[in-house]
Amino acid sequence: MRPQLSLAPDDGARLAFERDWLRRARQSRRQTLVWSLATLLLLLASVQLSEVTTSAVGAGWTERVADFIDRLFPVLRLDSLFAGRDVTGSLARWYYDLPRWLAAMRETIEMAFVGTVVGGAIALLLAFLAARNLTPHRGLRVFIRRGFDFARSVPDAVLALLFAVAFALGPVAGALTLIVTTVGALGKLFSEAMENAHGRQIEAVKATGGSWILQMRYGVIPQLLPQLLSYWLLRMETNLAIAASLGIIGAGGIGIELDRSISFIEFDTYLAILLLTIACIFMLDMMSELIRHRLTGPSH
Amino acid sequence: MTVALTSALTAPLTALAPLPGDRATLIALAAAKSPRAISLPLAARLKPWLYAGAFLALFIACCIDLQLGPQVLGDGFTKLGAITGAMLPPSDGGNLVHLLRVIAQTLAIAVLGTLFGIIFAIPLGLVAARNIIGNRVVHFAIRRLLDIFRGIPVLVWALIMVAAIGLGPIAGIVAIAFADIPRLAKLFAEALENADERQRQSVRVTGARVSAVIRFGFLPQILPVVLSQCLYFLEQNFRSAAVVGIVGGGGIGYELQERIRIFAFDEVAFITLLFVATVALLDFGSGRLRARLS
Repeated sequence: MRPQLSLAPDDGARLAFERDWLRRARQSRRQTLVWSLATLLLLLASVQLSEVTTSAVGAGWTERVADFIDRLFPVLRLDSLFAGRDVTGSLARWYYDLPRWLAAMRETIEMAFVGTVVGGAIALLLAFLAARNLTPHRGLRVFIRRGFDFARSVPDAVLALLFAVAFALGPVAGALTLIVTTVGALGKLFSEAMENAHGRQIEAVKATGGSWILQMRYGVIPQLLPQLLSYWLLRMETNLAIAASLGIIGAGGIGIELDRSISFIEFDTYLAILLLTIACIFMLDMMSELIRHRLTGPSH
Repeated sequence: MTVALTSALTAPLTALAPLPGDRATLIALAAAKSPRAISLPLAARLKPWLYAGAFLALFIACCIDLQLGPQVLGDGFTKLGAITGAMLPPSDGGNLVHLLRVIAQTLAIAVLGTLFGIIFAIPLGLVAARNIIGNRVVHFAIRRLLDIFRGIPVLVWALIMVAAIGLGPIAGIVAIAFADIPRLAKLFAEALENADERQRQSVRVTGARVSAVIRFGFLPQILPVVLSQCLYFLEQNFRSAAVVGIVGGGGIGYELQERIRIFAFDEVAFITLLFVATVALLDFGSGRLRARLS
């Protein structure tokens, strides 16, 4: 509903204001309409392109999903919950291969740890060269920045597949993949943190005659250490989840067990391993969160 | 003499008189005043080295357990060099049009996955927001549940969805949506909690209806935040959409995996570069939009 303009003829300023307000409202409406139409168009094109409507999920998919859900949940009986492995309905039967899964989980954690440590170390060294205020050479800075961008945009699973061809299927391929993606992600975060570092500490070291390396060691690292460590721990959490999933395409660890249970159509085993993985990731995340809060205070 | 020296040490720098006494007594006095500044006790000096040593030992133990030795690395990098050599020059294998179409399909999977993620995350976000649902037990339970599901990577969802639904883009879309729901719900809940109460109240006191309070007191605050997060998730999901294809969720991942399997590394390089370029383009466009929103 548009407001009626009933103004005295000499009230020019108010009239101009009303006109301007109406114009702005119209413009805003038009903009909203254009963006909504563009979004709608994008969605329609997506439906068309993704072949959702034509790809044959086929008739009877509701039964298939129902059957799947039925197989997903294990048979557990309350009276024999803690019985041995050979009794139907016991926990031991559901988690029949627990020692091997735990060993696989250990491999996943080790992959994540090695990947984050090595990737973080490389990222730290490169970040000094990639930070605008610290870099000894500008061309080098741009080059390293692009390298970070590239390492972040190549899908990790594709890297893992390539490394698996070169290093054979197994955790080494996974660890190397994590190193590359960690360098990309942490390198960007580290160098941005360094660009926000206070210059005065660096100048103080420079004034005493400290070399570039000493300036970085005593001027930059002490003031940024809690922040960098916090980023590093966060990346450790991310890498743990990635390490678990990379195993699915052959990079070692718990993912291999997940994949195996699917190929043997043991969906209840899949659920067992998934719950184990979630529990491990969740516990390690809590530990890391505790350490991060101690490092930076609860504000971060 | 001690009193004179101490006052000299605490005096402002401009008023510093030349200190009496030799260097050794000065250091001793400074050490008495602030012991940790001059020399740390041995235990405190050893502590960081002990931590570093333990860390290094753990790292080496991990490397040994993973069989990550120089032999393996040497052999692997030799092979990797050969693979990189085979990548040059990148080649489209004569089906550029098909590849572009599949990249577009990957983007479509990401868009629809994000859309469904948003649709299901909104009610969850409402329930998880402290200022909407007052009950602390419900709030805590929902938050923890979201935290737990947030840990499941998209590839794990894709594997199970392909098993449940069957090969094809629908499994990929559902996997991306499932991976997004807990993450988006948490962000939505936080956006709701951070919304300023006063703006809503000021609309309410004009006697507006509930719908108007939401429209003018609430949405203008959270919509830009939420839209910007959705765009960011779309960027991330485009990468995920490339990954779900590897386990059969449709999109470019399938093409890549096929070519790696037959060692057609020149085409792998081409597709990867094409994908990376598209990612850069999408990030640029979405970044511009996000800058306009905020």
